Amino acid sequence: MSILSKILKKKQKQRKDDNYRQQQDPQKPEDLPILRDYKENISRIKGEFGNSNDIVIREFIHSKHRGALVYVDGLADSRVISDFILESFNENEIVADEIDYFQFMIEKAVALGSNKVIYNWNQVYDSMLSGDTVIFLDGYNKGISGETKGWEKRAITEPSTQLSIRGPKDSFTETLRTNTALIRRRIKSPNLWIESMKIGTVSQTDIAIMYIKGIANEKIVAEVKERLNRINIDSILGSGYIEQLIEDQAWTTFPTTYHSERPDVVSSQLLEGRIAIIVDGTPFVLTAPAIFIQFFQAADDYYSRFDISTGVRLLRILAFIIAILGPALYIAGTTFHQEMIPTTMAIAIAAQRENVPFPAFVEALIMEVTFEILREAGLRLPRAVGQAVSIVGALVIGQAAVQAGIVSPVMVIVVSITAIANFSTPVFAMAIAARLIRFVLMGMATVLGFYGIMLGLMFMSIHLCSLRSFGIPYMMPIAPFNLRNQQDVFVRFPLWAMKYRPMFISKGNVIRSGENQKPGPPKQGDDTQTPKGES
Amino acid sequence: MMRKFFVISFLMVLLLPIMSGCWNQKELTDLAFVMAMGIDKGEDKKFDVSFQLVNPGNVASGQNGGGQGLPIAVYKSSGNTITEAARNATKMISRRLYYSHTNLIAVSEEVARDGILDMMDALDRDPEFRTTTQIVVARHTSAQDLVSALTNLDKLPVNKITKELKSTEKMLGENIGVNIDDFLAGLVSDGKNPIVNGYIVHGKKEQIGNAQDLQKTIGGAFLEADGLAVFEKGKLIGWFEHQWARGVVYVLDKVQSTGINVSWNGKKHAITMASIRSKTKVSVHFKNGKPLINIAIEDEGWISEANTAVDLTNPQVIDKIDKLVEKEIKRQVLGSIKEAQKMKSDIFGFGERVHRANPKQWKKLKGDWNNHFAELDVNVKVDSFVRREGIRTSPFWINMNK
Repeated sequence: MSILSKILKKKQKQRKDDNYRQQQDPQKPEDLPILRDYKENISRIKGEFGNSNDIVIREFIHSKHRGALVYVDGLADSRVISDFILESFNENEIVADEIDYFQFMIEKAVALGSNKVIYNWNQVYDSMLSGDTVIFLDGYNKGISGETKGWEKRAITEPSTQLSIRGPKDSFTETLRTNTALIRRRIKSPNLWIESMKIGTVSQTDIAIMYIKGIANEKIVAEVKERLNRINIDSILGSGYIEQLIEDQAWTTFPTTYHSERPDVVSSQLLEGRIAIIVDGTPFVLTAPAIFIQFFQAADDYYSRFDISTGVRLLRILAFIIAILGPALYIAGTTFHQEMIPTTMAIAIAAQRENVPFPAFVEALIMEVTFEILREAGLRLPRAVGQAVSIVGALVIGQAAVQAGIVSPVMVIVVSITAIANFSTPVFAMAIAARLIRFVLMGMATVLGFYGIMLGLMFMSIHLCSLRSFGIPYMMPIAPFNLRNQQDVFVRFPLWAMKYRPMFISKGNVIRSGENQKPGPPKQGDDTQTPKGES
Repeated sequence: MMRKFFVISFLMVLLLPIMSGCWNQKELTDLAFVMAMGIDKGEDKKFDVSFQLVNPGNVASGQNGGGQGLPIAVYKSSGNTITEAARNATKMISRRLYYSHTNLIAVSEEVARDGILDMMDALDRDPEFRTTTQIVVARHTSAQDLVSALTNLDKLPVNKITKELKSTEKMLGENIGVNIDDFLAGLVSDGKNPIVNGYIVHGKKEQIGNAQDLQKTIGGAFLEADGLAVFEKGKLIGWFEHQWARGVVYVLDKVQSTGINVSWNGKKHAITMASIRSKTKVSVHFKNGKPLINIAIEDEGWISEANTAVDLTNPQVIDKIDKLVEKEIKRQVLGSIKEAQKMKSDIFGFGERVHRANPKQWKKLKGDWNNHFAELDVNVKVDSFVRREGIRTSPFWINMNK
């Protein structure tokens, strides 16, 4: 229980911080206390919300006391309000000499899971807009905030972007509380701490920071909190906002925070000492610090056996390289280094390019841009029309363009392989980065051939090595090289051999498993395992 | 600071297209792939060079409809050097001649007899040329004929020659692939003379390059590898024919597989043993300051034919076949060595062996090595071994005579 109270205390402290920040903002209403006259309170609310019709104000008389309850229709569950507040009023009338009426209400009459006493208007708005019900009682300069949150929420569904074959099929939703619950259900430890705050001067979005006390590096936790506190923006409408505002390096195409819609992935990140940032209204949870190789680790890597996972992971890295280099190699090969192509192939390509009116770069650019347009259109179009676009796209790219002699069939192959390879990167943010780099390398290949590609790759590697994510080098176990942390980089070690957590993230507590975890057949003479009588 | 960096880098990027001009860039469609070059003696200038250019659209199959016209076109130009001839050729060809995929240099026998030293540096120095390009001598015909011949099995005629050399080296062992590198290595070595494959045109020479000839299953004219040319100081001095050529290949340790015929009980060519593995070791001994060459050949094979009643289940018979094969190989090897000694041309690299074995003695022998070579004592020891008999034990002949 002490931990819970600690969390509560921290929350209160956080509140204070928030209040402090809100006072800084001239647009915020002043931190006025609740008035004794409930009528005045009501008219104040009406004034503040401009008579918005989703604000429900219900006046009541209970045990000869007058009062009103206020909630926002749609955010609060009106059935809970009628069943556990209004119904409960009828059953719990105060008897003459009993305790203070306010105390009676909070302890007995308002039969909700969580009741809080609130004193000022900030708390009133906070409660109302979070879906809670605020009860004003005549003659008291304080109110009751009862938890009645209950808006329409999306059910937990299968993840739509990070699919898995053997893993769990649930994914995060837009509701912060559901998301924290999904993680808590996986890590049943009191050491899983949640700290919450509100960011967005207007939107007041709920943010929760989750980490495992004792595994996460305290310094990084402090750093995350500091960076979040620094944010001063009117609204946070998705975790992407947070991501862009807390990055180490703004000028990069590579993602330096990880995001996932899979609770199992986020749980595993937490267990490695990372910190999760959950934003209300986004089904994507951010985790930090992130390293490069992490974007090639898929959830299924850990659910299938290590040899298969290793092979598949190497394949993904190969696909990433193809996605970056595909068209660039084609351009360089056909315009600079014809001697590098085997004779038969060179002649075959030459034959196909015979009728193509454009130089290789323009040809590649036409195809790549066409494909990117198709892909973008496919994302935006309504589902019913999307089908039509893909048919048109396949015909235009695959057939008509070749028959019209605008592009060569080899180019179509190169673009298709590149596109398919691009989709095999498990995290979309990294796939998008590859898309952008591809165009840069295409330009370099046009101007300088393989030499240009090498220059581009060198520039990219130097840039990657200079990146940091919350102080952790982005290329971590590779550069700077660390032998002990190679358990989960290119080769995914068997689980029984993955004894340590990534040491560069959780500095102190790094032992993941005990000794001798390698499974094997029963030892000889072990009667319990082999029934001798049967054989 | 940051801003200045970006401004400067942006300006530098703007400058890039002006500065580079896409250095060395050449579109695939602007290139004429030279697949083979034929070098003949020129009339008024030193060389007549024929360029076999590929016409990609007619080679590649698939959608763009290959095979309508001829796969190659041959252009001929002349010059006192190879480069001059190549530059003169640009007057006739719309595209840039591109040599990186050149697979064959054909030299006419006439040019070869006069000496081919004057053309080798051009092939060695040009960055586009590969020194792995095969070199052949056009025998009894012009090099132009060789590079303008059409072939019906391979779409690219040059592939016929290069692939053929590879396959005959593997299966028969009478020719070996010789590229520019090998040739030059032999040329500069004191103790070894280079050899080059010969090629002849069979049939009617006037049919060469005629597309209608391809409509027949037996072409009117076709190319065949024939003999090994021996070079001395860059000049062709003689030829090794069939079995003597195989002897050369045996000594050079290049035999991978071949067939050896032996007689049995008076019947000629009764049994054929196909080698599957062969290893030749050449060692040098000195007797009274005179070098003595020992050649040890280990040959392993299988009986691919037995056209007589021979009991192959009997180990003694097999032993006897071993002996006969050994004798036959020894005869071929000794024959080719004798032939070479007649020509006074050390194509086996015995001189190099002597040099390695005894550098001091070599210095004395070096000056007149060709004559020393002609009188060299050579011991040949063959160790043959029948590994298996195919999928029959004894041939049907045994049952016939019962």
